[in-house]
Amino acid sequence: MSQPHPVSNTALLGEPVTGMEMMAIVIARDLEDGEWVEVGANLPVPRAGALLAHLLHGPNMTLMMAMTKTWLLNQRSIEDFQFITDVRAARWAEAYYEHDRLLNNMRFRKRGVFFCGGIEIDCFGNSNLIGVGADHRRLEFRGPGAIGTCNATVYNGRYHLVTNSHSRRVLVEKCSFVSALGYGDGSPGLRASLNLPGAGPRYIITPMCVFDFDPTTNRARLRTLHPGVSLDDVVKNTGFAFVLPTRVETTEAPSEEELFTLRTRIDRAGTLRS
Amino acid sequence: MSHEELERRPVIQTVTDAAARIQDGITLGVGGFINSGHPMALVRQVIRNGVRDLTVVGPASSGLEVDLLIAAGCVKRVIAPYVGAEGLVPIGPAFQAASQSGQLEVWEVDEAMYYAGLRASAQRLPFNPWRSGIGTSYPEINRDLVEFIDPVRGERLLAVPAIELNVAILHAAVSDNYGNVQHNGTGYGDRAIYAAADYTIVEVEQLVSVEQIQRNPAATSIPGANSVVRAPFGAHPFSSEGYYPPDVIALQEYIEAARPLRRGDRQPIEDYLRRYVLEPEDHIAYLEQIGLSRLMSLSEY
Repeated sequence: MSQPHPVSNTALLGEPVTGMEMMAIVIARDLEDGEWVEVGANLPVPRAGALLAHLLHGPNMTLMMAMTKTWLLNQRSIEDFQFITDVRAARWAEAYYEHDRLLNNMRFRKRGVFFCGGIEIDCFGNSNLIGVGADHRRLEFRGPGAIGTCNATVYNGRYHLVTNSHSRRVLVEKCSFVSALGYGDGSPGLRASLNLPGAGPRYIITPMCVFDFDPTTNRARLRTLHPGVSLDDVVKNTGFAFVLPTRVETTEAPSEEELFTLRTRIDRAGTLRS
Repeated sequence: MSHEELERRPVIQTVTDAAARIQDGITLGVGGFINSGHPMALVRQVIRNGVRDLTVVGPASSGLEVDLLIAAGCVKRVIAPYVGAEGLVPIGPAFQAASQSGQLEVWEVDEAMYYAGLRASAQRLPFNPWRSGIGTSYPEINRDLVEFIDPVRGERLLAVPAIELNVAILHAAVSDNYGNVQHNGTGYGDRAIYAAADYTIVEVEQLVSVEQIQRNPAATSIPGANSVVRAPFGAHPFSSEGYYPPDVIALQEYIEAARPLRRGDRQPIEDYLRRYVLEPEDHIAYLEQIGLSRLMSLSEY
């Protein structure tokens, strides 16, 4: 892995906080000790958020990294692996997760927290990883597939939607297809009526802001703007109409401890700053 | 009975002999996980053999091995919750091009439905019930996923039909002569693919004695491969845990060749297939094409 140039702590803390770092910090603050977090493939932001929570306030969190169960408080610095199957992560394993067994066992996910992306995310928190277009047999844009998001957004106790790209292309009024169900068409009690054990999405976390969902209409509602982001920026780049509360707070700026831990122990390569 | 008649029969085959079982139109399961552990010596032989109209059941996270089979024209239908290569290319280029043009049928599933289908096959049941997927687009875009009311608790569930594999091909670390296979690492979903198949071929980095297998029988992940192929570097350009990491240069070369498919340009992929699959007559010739210095540069750890 590439090692950062030696820098003084002050210089490192002085660099501006990026949108992706803000996302990781929002994720970390929300996670609770004792929760189980699956860090999926190629998701540097949720990875950093989960590790930050683990190192700062989650000594009893269970982290799944690179298909292993792991506990990393004693690691000075945690390498960032390019591939989910990297064997170097296996040296920290307390258990291997054989993938099929992981998907056969749902009870343990009650305390699980999941992070779901999407090529489209709509105003009711539904996500689409299948494709864009009217006809499924002739998609205009073929997506990668849902991976495990359809199931993980049902059986984990709770989840967030995350996107590194706050744009009208991703944040749409209605998904072309729904591969992970949020609040469906917004009907109250939909998830309960389908006997889905896990709660619906709590937040949509982007590099610009955090949305939560209006408890009555289930429509996305602006919760906080990250420092330096204006309401106008968000409106311009959001493809769905969202609920605007009378007072919009600013996301609390990172503490020194959060930023220092993030930059020296979790993201030494600076992936979230690139 | 003569002593000779009581001898145990080895299951070792050459790549060519083993791959002959993979015929036009069958349902073929492929093991591994994204950039790791795919049975590439066998995959390349399937392409050399000109096999057509396969239903390919990829790994839960399929990588560019499935994409290569699609690019080579072997695949009619793909069953996979994902086809891509993580940060190298998030969506398989041939998978994307062929599904957008309508040449490739995608049987849509997510990971949990995929394993429910494999489990139904393993258990010789018509389907396995699953909950996730209710309320999504899945039952509309995959008509084989049937919503039903469960007769025990009256809940709305999906019936995921059995995904029955005629042949499964896997890559693992070692085997003895009798099909007792051991993986390094987790083995991904390979056990589930094996359990869902009528016939399983495993290529391995090394053959070992049955006594070595017996030193740690708990590590035997596939206790009954029908056929075992010795194929050092058989997962190349993907990783084989404990032997070599993904060969990123080789993967990039494939990606560069496959990307033009998205604008309908087949020339680069034809060149790639000729150079790396069709012209090398077998697995060893492929490795010679890659070259010893490159292969030796892939550190075990």
